[in-house]
Amino acid sequence: MNLRRQTLGSLLVALPLAGGALLVAQDPRGLDPAMMLKPPADTWPTYHGDYTGQRHSRLTQITAENVHQLTVAWTFQSGSAAGIKATPILVDGVMYVTMPDNIWAIDARTGRQIWKYTYPTPQGFHIGHRGAAVYKDTVYLTTPNAHLIALDVRDGKVKWDVVIADWRKGFWSTNAPLLIKNHLIVGVSGDFDNLPGTLKSVDPETGKTQWIFFSTPPPGTPDSISGGATGGQMWNAGTYDPELNLLYVGTGNPTPVLNGAARPGDNKWVCSILAIDPDAGKLAWGFQASPHDTHDWDAAEVPVLVDAPFNGTPRKLLMQASRNGYFFVLDRTNGKNLLTRPFAAANWTKGIAENGSPIPDPAQDPARDGRLVSPDEGGGTNYRSPSFDRRTGLFIVSARDAWGIYFFKPEHGAYGWAGADYGVYGKGVLRAIDYQTGKIRWEHDLVGGGGGAGVLTTETGVTFSGDASNNVFALRTSDGATLWHASIGNVGNGPITYELDGRQYMVVAGGGVLYAWALPQKLVNTPAR
Amino acid sequence: MRLSISLALLLSASAIVFSHAQQPPPPAPAPAPQPSPAAQQPPAGRGRATQGPTAGQKPPATVTAQSYPPELVQQGQVLFVSFCGFCHGRDAMGGETGPDLTRSLLVAEDVRGDKIIPLVHTGRVEKGMPPQNLPDSDLNAIVAFIHDTKIKADTLEGSRRTVDPSDLATGNASAGEAFFNGPGGCTKCHSATGDLAGVATRMQGLQLLQRMLMPGGRGRGAAPRPAIATITLPAGQTVTGKVAYRDEFTIAITDANGYYRSYPTRGAKVVVDNPLDGHIALLPKYTNDDMHNVLAYLQTLK
Repeated sequence: MNLRRQTLGSLLVALPLAGGALLVAQDPRGLDPAMMLKPPADTWPTYHGDYTGQRHSRLTQITAENVHQLTVAWTFQSGSAAGIKATPILVDGVMYVTMPDNIWAIDARTGRQIWKYTYPTPQGFHIGHRGAAVYKDTVYLTTPNAHLIALDVRDGKVKWDVVIADWRKGFWSTNAPLLIKNHLIVGVSGDFDNLPGTLKSVDPETGKTQWIFFSTPPPGTPDSISGGATGGQMWNAGTYDPELNLLYVGTGNPTPVLNGAARPGDNKWVCSILAIDPDAGKLAWGFQASPHDTHDWDAAEVPVLVDAPFNGTPRKLLMQASRNGYFFVLDRTNGKNLLTRPFAAANWTKGIAENGSPIPDPAQDPARDGRLVSPDEGGGTNYRSPSFDRRTGLFIVSARDAWGIYFFKPEHGAYGWAGADYGVYGKGVLRAIDYQTGKIRWEHDLVGGGGGAGVLTTETGVTFSGDASNNVFALRTSDGATLWHASIGNVGNGPITYELDGRQYMVVAGGGVLYAWALPQKLVNTPAR
Repeated sequence: MRLSISLALLLSASAIVFSHAQQPPPPAPAPAPQPSPAAQQPPAGRGRATQGPTAGQKPPATVTAQSYPPELVQQGQVLFVSFCGFCHGRDAMGGETGPDLTRSLLVAEDVRGDKIIPLVHTGRVEKGMPPQNLPDSDLNAIVAFIHDTKIKADTLEGSRRTVDPSDLATGNASAGEAFFNGPGGCTKCHSATGDLAGVATRMQGLQLLQRMLMPGGRGRGAAPRPAIATITLPAGQTVTGKVAYRDEFTIAITDANGYYRSYPTRGAKVVVDNPLDGHIALLPKYTNDDMHNVLAYLQTLK
C-alpha cells in the first residue's frame, strides 16, 4: 500500500523533470527554492537532503534483501590526500562536493569532473568542509577565511565574493549554507578567540547581508544575557519548518572555553538549540542543551525535525543527539522539552532541571588537579549527521563512550581555550534510539575510537554508515544486523542516495574518493515493485 | 550485531605469541618492533606538550641556532594557520588534536626544515596528521614561522598552558594504595614491587596520570604488552598472535616470523586478550578522588 503510493509519487515527480529536459532552452535549469519543500528523487539539493535533517530516503530500489549485490557504479578521485568530509549535493544531474578552498562539479551518472574551482587565497583554518548550496543557477562555497563565493553552476566562474566575517579575528567557515526562500543562511566557526556567535542571512542573488543574528552579544555589550561569554558559533547547517517558518540551528561552545569562572551563569545562548525567524533573524525560542558548558560540548549537532506522535499525541518534534551525551526531544513549536536522556557515557550532571536541561555538576568543571569526565572533548557525538527512520521510529547516531581529563587554573587565563584537556579513551558505537523513550533499541560496535561517518536510512529498512576503520556498511534498520560492507578508506561524510534514469545510487566518501554504489545494471529494470 | 568489548580494541606492541594447531612455526629471529596501527582514533583534546618532554618540563633547546627574515616568518604564519593551525594551534603551541610544536624534539633538532619538511610531505597518517602537498617556498616559510615561534616561546616565563606535577599532588597515597590493592583490581596485573617498582622515578605528573588511566597512545608510551587474539577458524584450527588489525570483518595478527596474516571474522571465533581491558573498565568507576589517590600512591613508588 505504502510502496504503491511511493512509486506513484516518484513517477509524478519524474514526469515534469523529463519535460523540463526537453525544454531546456526555454526553461532555465537550476534550483527553484520551492522545490526544496519536496525534493524530487533525482536530487539531494541541500546538505541534509531536505529541510527536516532526517536523512531518510523514500527510495525503494535498494532493499535489505538486495543490498549485498551493490556494485561500484563510478568513483570520483579528488586527488587530495585529505579526506572528503562534505555531504555532496545534487541538482540537475550535477553533483557538487567540497573541501577547504575547493569545489568540484561532477556528473552524477559517471563521476566525471565537469569543472573545479579553487579559491586562490589560502587563509584561515583548513580543517574540513561540510558542503555547498545551490540557488537557481548559482552554487555557493564558504571558505576557510570566512568568505562566501557565488559560482555559476555551468562553469564554476565566480559571480561574486563577499566577506562573512573577519578571518584575522579568528573566524573561519566550514559551513554548508542553508537556502530558505530568498535567504542563504551562513554560519562560521571560531573558538580560539573570544568572538561573538555569528549567523548571517545573505541575499543569494547579490550577496548582500539581510540580517545578522548573534547567539552571544559582541564582547563588551552591557548587561549581556550570555554572562560575558562569547562563542556559540553556528557552524553546522540547520533545519527548517516551512509551516512554522522557523529555522532551527544548534549553537557552539562558549569562550573562554574551559574557564567557566570568567563567564558566570548559564551563558545563553551557547550550547543551545535555537528557533529563528528566517525573514527577520529574530529568536523565537531557545533551549539550552548544556547550561554553563566548560567542556567544549557544543550543541551544533543536527536539529532533526519529525512530525510524529509523542505519548499518543501527534506533535511537531525536534530531536537532537548532542555532543554532551544527551538525547533531547522538544516540541518545535515552542521549544518545550519532552525528553532528556543520555545516549552515551556522561558523568557531568547532577540531574535534569524542570525545563529539561541537564544540570552541570560543578565538581566536574575543569580544575587544577584534573577531572575525569565523560564524554571527552570530542563528545558523545559530533558533526556527523544522524538519521531518523520514520518506519521504526529510531533515531540512529554515531556515538562514542569517551573519557577525558580536564584542567583549568587561573594561570590559563580567560582567552580562547583557557585550560587544557586530554582524551583518555573513546569507543565508537552506532546507537538506535527509540525517540519516545530515549532507550537504546540496538547498538552496533564500530570497533575503534569512533566513526566519522554520518547515517542514512531508507524506506526499505536499510541503514548506511561507516565504522571506525575503513568500512562503509549497510545494516538492517530494525536490529542493526550487518547486510553488506566494503573497505573503501576512512568514511568521513554522510552517505546520500538518489535515483537517476531509474537507477538508485548511494554515494559516500572513502578518504579523498567518492564512491557511487548501485545494483548491477542487469537487475535494475527487474520489476521489484 | 554486537561485538564483545574485548574485541573492540586492537593494539600493538613488540612481543609476539604464535601457535598453530597443525603447523607449528619454525624458530625465528626476534622480530623488529612493529609500528602501531591507527586502531584507535587519536584522543580528542587540545593536548599540550604530550610529545617530547612532559608538560611542566622545560622544552628541548634548539640544537642549531637559526634566524629568519621577518617577512618570511609573517608569510609562514598565514600558511601555518591555514594548514597546521587547527591541530597545532594558531601559535604552534598545540591545538585541537596536535601537539605543541615549540616543545617538539623534532623541531628542536630541525635545521632549516631538514626534518620538518619531509614530515609534512609524508604526514603521520596513523596519528591523524594528513600529508600536505605544499610547494617548497611555502614550506620554507612555515619552517621559519615554527622556529621563530619556538624562539619566542622558549623565553616565556612559567608554563601558561601546561599541567605541572605540583598541580596534581592533591591525592592521598594511602587511600590510593587501598584502592590499588582493593576495589581498583590493579594487582591482577600490576605489582608495586614488580613492574611498577620505581615508576615515579621514570615518569611523573601529567605523563604518569595519563599512563595510569590508559597506557599506550600519544604521550603515554607503549602498552605494557600487546593484545593477543586467539582465532578459531571455521575448519577448526586455532591461531594465536599479536593483534595487528581488527575491524568487524577482519582480524589480523603478526606471526612469530613477523608476517602479517589476516582472517575473515565470519565463521571464526575470535577472542582477544587485551591487557587494557582493566583500565577501560575502571574509567566509569573512578571518582576524581580515586584517580588522584592512586596517582599519589604511584608517586611514592620511587
